[in-house]
Amino acid sequence: MAVTLRASHVVELADVRIAGGVMLAAAAARPLVGSPGLPCPLRTLTGIPCPLCGMTTSVTDTVYLHLGHALAANPVGILAVVVAIVLLVNRRVQRVALPAWVLPVGLAAMWVFELFRFRVL
Amino acid sequence: MSSEYSSPAPGAGTGPSGPRADFGTRLGAWLIDVVIVIVVEFVLAAVLGTVGRGLGIIISLGYYTYFEGSPSGQTVGKHLLNIRVIDFQTGGPLGYGKAALRWVGRIVSSIPCFLGYFWMLWDKEKQTWHDKIATTVVVPTSAYPVTAWPG
Repeated sequence: MAVTLRASHVVELADVRIAGGVMLAAAAARPLVGSPGLPCPLRTLTGIPCPLCGMTTSVTDTVYLHLGHALAANPVGILAVVVAIVLLVNRRVQRVALPAWVLPVGLAAMWVFELFRFRVL
Repeated sequence: MSSEYSSPAPGAGTGPSGPRADFGTRLGAWLIDVVIVIVVEFVLAAVLGTVGRGLGIIISLGYYTYFEGSPSGQTVGKHLLNIRVIDFQTGGPLGYGKAALRWVGRIVSSIPCFLGYFWMLWDKEKQTWHDKIATTVVVPTSAYPVTAWPG
């Protein structure tokens, strides 16, 4: 079953489903094992955050329902957790067609957010 | 291309662009390889001290270049999980030059919070950024068999 949204780019959800499951498991386990998470190489090297900065914190905080902290770190972390749960619960949808601009525009928005958060902008 | 290896061109297989290795399998292979490289680096650092620590990058470069550049295109992790990396243009082995370039590409993939690795979730050919840089794809050996490892 495919869901079409004025399409142009088909995303196979089997892989996304696995990645989402791994993400949720890692986020749930992270505080239990005391993992600080992986540092962003770009920010470590240059001081400039990347679009995905804050995602480890955001996803972990969302899993533990600290939504305010999650929102402050990276709002997309909340979306990622919701999507991961929906995909794990609803296994009927195998692929989804999205407009090609979704990923680049989404990453650009995430990057602007992180640049403001780290006061680069 | 060696006749010993069955390497159909990209496009062969079940789908319009042929089967590609899935995210979970690639993640598993990556974890196995990372553990191997880290253990070797740890042992070298313990034995040789500072010199051993400095060899870490060379060990990693040598490991991936040797195994992925070999005719099978399989690191230990890929071998155990039955996937291999092939040249996207020829469908055959990538050779040591492209394998070294692919290793450099891994650094690029890692820089923005490993976004280059996650790119395969969106990409039609399931290519990471280092796959795109080296023009390679990772495929299951069920569709692209290997008869000898590392070859």
